[in-house]
Amino acid sequence: MELERKMPMIDTEQSESALPRPEHESGTPLYELSGLERTFSKGGMVVHAIRGINLVIDRGEMVSLEGPSGSGKSTLLQLLGALDSPTGGSIRFARRDLAGLSDKELTKIRAQEIGFVFQHFNLILTLTAAENVAIAMFPNHVRARERRERAEQLLNQVGLGHRLHHLPSRLSGGEQQRVAIARALANNPSVIIADEPTGNLDSDTAKEVMTALTALQSSAGVTIVVATHDEEVAQLTSRRVRIRDGEILGDSAA
Amino acid sequence: MFSLSYVSRELRRRWGRTLVTALGLAAGVGLVMGIIGVSEGLSAAQNRVLSPLGTVGTDIIVTRTVAPTTNQSTTTTTTTTHAFNGFGGGGGGGGGGGFFARGVSGAATDATSSQAAALLNNNASVITDLAKLGKPGTQFTHDFFVPGTLITFPSVAVSDVARIPGVTSAVGALSLQALHESGTVPTITDTVKTGGQTISTTVKPPTLTPSQTATERSCILSVLKKSFGSAAGGTGGGTGRGSHSGRGGGFSGFTSNPAVEKCLTPAQISYQQKVLVPEQTITRVLKPPTTNTSTASYTVAGVDASNETTGLITKAQLVSGTWFTSDPADEVLVNTAYASTKKLKAGGTVTINAVSYRIVGLVKPTLTGNVSDIYFPLPTIQSLASAPGYVNEVLVSVKSSSDVGAITTAIQKELPGATVLTSKSLADQVSGSLKNARKLATDLGGALAIVVLLAAFLIAGLLTLSSVSKRVREIGSLRAIGWTRGEVVRQVMAETVGIGIVGGLIGVAIGVGVCAVIAAVGPGLSVTASGLAVGASSVGSLVGQSTTGTVTTVVHLTAPVHLATIALAFAGALIGGLIAGAAGGWRAARLAPASALRDLG
Repeated sequence: MELERKMPMIDTEQSESALPRPEHESGTPLYELSGLERTFSKGGMVVHAIRGINLVIDRGEMVSLEGPSGSGKSTLLQLLGALDSPTGGSIRFARRDLAGLSDKELTKIRAQEIGFVFQHFNLILTLTAAENVAIAMFPNHVRARERRERAEQLLNQVGLGHRLHHLPSRLSGGEQQRVAIARALANNPSVIIADEPTGNLDSDTAKEVMTALTALQSSAGVTIVVATHDEEVAQLTSRRVRIRDGEILGDSAA
Repeated sequence: MFSLSYVSRELRRRWGRTLVTALGLAAGVGLVMGIIGVSEGLSAAQNRVLSPLGTVGTDIIVTRTVAPTTNQSTTTTTTTTHAFNGFGGGGGGGGGGGFFARGVSGAATDATSSQAAALLNNNASVITDLAKLGKPGTQFTHDFFVPGTLITFPSVAVSDVARIPGVTSAVGALSLQALHESGTVPTITDTVKTGGQTISTTVKPPTLTPSQTATERSCILSVLKKSFGSAAGGTGGGTGRGSHSGRGGGFSGFTSNPAVEKCLTPAQISYQQKVLVPEQTITRVLKPPTTNTSTASYTVAGVDASNETTGLITKAQLVSGTWFTSDPADEVLVNTAYASTKKLKAGGTVTINAVSYRIVGLVKPTLTGNVSDIYFPLPTIQSLASAPGYVNEVLVSVKSSSDVGAITTAIQKELPGATVLTSKSLADQVSGSLKNARKLATDLGGALAIVVLLAAFLIAGLLTLSSVSKRVREIGSLRAIGWTRGEVVRQVMAETVGIGIVGGLIGVAIGVGVCAVIAAVGPGLSVTASGLAVGASSVGSLVGQSTTGTVTTVVHLTAPVHLATIALAFAGALIGGLIAGAAGGWRAARLAPASALRDLG
């Protein structure tokens, strides 16, 4: 709870004026996966990455996806992040089936409703912290001035108000990841997809980042899906889903 | 469209890549500018050289030429021999206007062989009659004017041409070859007195008939009886026979007696007369004496002094001094090249046949066979060459260049046998390194420029592709956080267009520099123009001097940079940027958004 003080709460009232906010009724299903399949064909071999997953994630949940590499965890995360389309079954996100949507439609959904936090932070190295947050709003036709103001506000919220004009190379790993979290929040998404968000961080920093995410979930009601193989990280989440060989091995909510 | 701040950040913070790609485009564009500059420089040089007519406000030159015949051109070339090998030929000074064949009137208007012969004869008249130069041992200088290979037109031909529809103006000119001879008048004759001596001859008198002998004997005997009595009578017959031996001395003893002479026959008397050879003085030609006579040739032309814009020279070609005044009779304009050789200046004088002419200005004529060393007002040169009212060139300007063909035909109809030169026909006869370079620039320059540009584009494209490949995670992240394919592509293209702009600026600077260096170094290009020798230039072959009848000039290559070239170069760099952007954008568009999630190390 010490960290909570360091990390000011997200002021959701302010952001509503900038962007239309999707319905955030806690408890209603955000994701509904049924018989979801994803196969890849590589050199004549068909790889079944996801084999018929059924899963429901409600709004406001903080879910961890656990599994070793090759378990299909990453593939599932891509499907949840609207980065990929399933080859079978259905994946409903905010009451829309993502299967069969065009790249353009998926891109629009990502731009408006999904925020990403990556293992390697994936900040644009030539842009400052504020610019990195601002470019996330670029596809939504937010005016440059508004983008800048909101970026500064979000960075203040993640405790980086003093690092607005620093390039990623001059920020620590934890700071970079907090910039990434601010960027993920830029478009006021329904869900934040975090792929091994602490994978590149030491345990103290990792805890710091996870606390920030947890705070988001509890204060703003943002749904968070974290892929991780870190037991400590998984323990911070309210629901743990274990995946092995493209299937759900265990679900703490079940 | 795209994020400008993102573009500028990318370009500035990845300045190494920006610079390398931009320099690739810049080098290509700069080189293309150089090629264009050289090509335009060559075109300009060629236009300057090949459109001598245009530069003097003239589209067509009309002449009538006679090709030099070989037997005339084989005469020896040493000055001394040359000066005398035609001794006894015509006088100097152009040999009179009669040789300036009036070919335009009457039926026989072609340059016939007889006219050609007359022309050759006229040219030959330059041979010095030393006897007319002055007393032996005195210094002499004399200038001769000969028409070279050009047959003259009477001035009326000029107005005939001017009347042809489509002709704006026609101006007459008289181009002549001048020979300047100077030296000491040699002793070329001696005077010998002959005759005055008495010549004796011995001739066998005719045989007397018996009756003549008898008469003669009786006559002589009667004379002797009167003088000496009959004692001498016995020797009479012997004396008559003795004359057969031819002893005139003895015979004359008898004949000294006038009384005896009366008895002789007329034939005998006549053979006894003394012969007096009549006295006479003979001037006899010696072998050609050695002398220091030297010959220098130069060219002169008569121009319309009142016409400043059309003619062999124009006021625009004036380098120093002034144009002819309103009273130009004793004024000349001198070619700068000749002036520098002879150390002549505007304001100085040239003396020709004891008359001083004031140099009012120096001119720099364009390359043509019509380049003369000294330009006189037309009446002055006509007077010097004893050809009043005659011209040998008609310079024609036309209203529209498209009429040139038709007017050429009309002139040939009006003046049969005339040689009609147009800019195009002159251009066809030009050779030399300029033409080769021009051909090279035309044939290879364009191809080279395209190859260079394509290479630059290729390099820029490859560099951009490699750059995009290195930014897979960055671009994937952009796609993941909601950037559309189009936005990513536009962003990449905006960056490369930015690089193109930088490359264009550097390239234009490089191109301007390259062109400046070329202009500064200015490699010389020779131009040999046989067809341009329309003036008196080929007279040399007629009088045995080594003149080839071609004009070779060296022009210095320049590489002008026009605004259009700069615009083209800049556009080239921008297109290069767009092409590179298209390549990079294509690569970026194919990146899956999910690549942002992959562990790329």
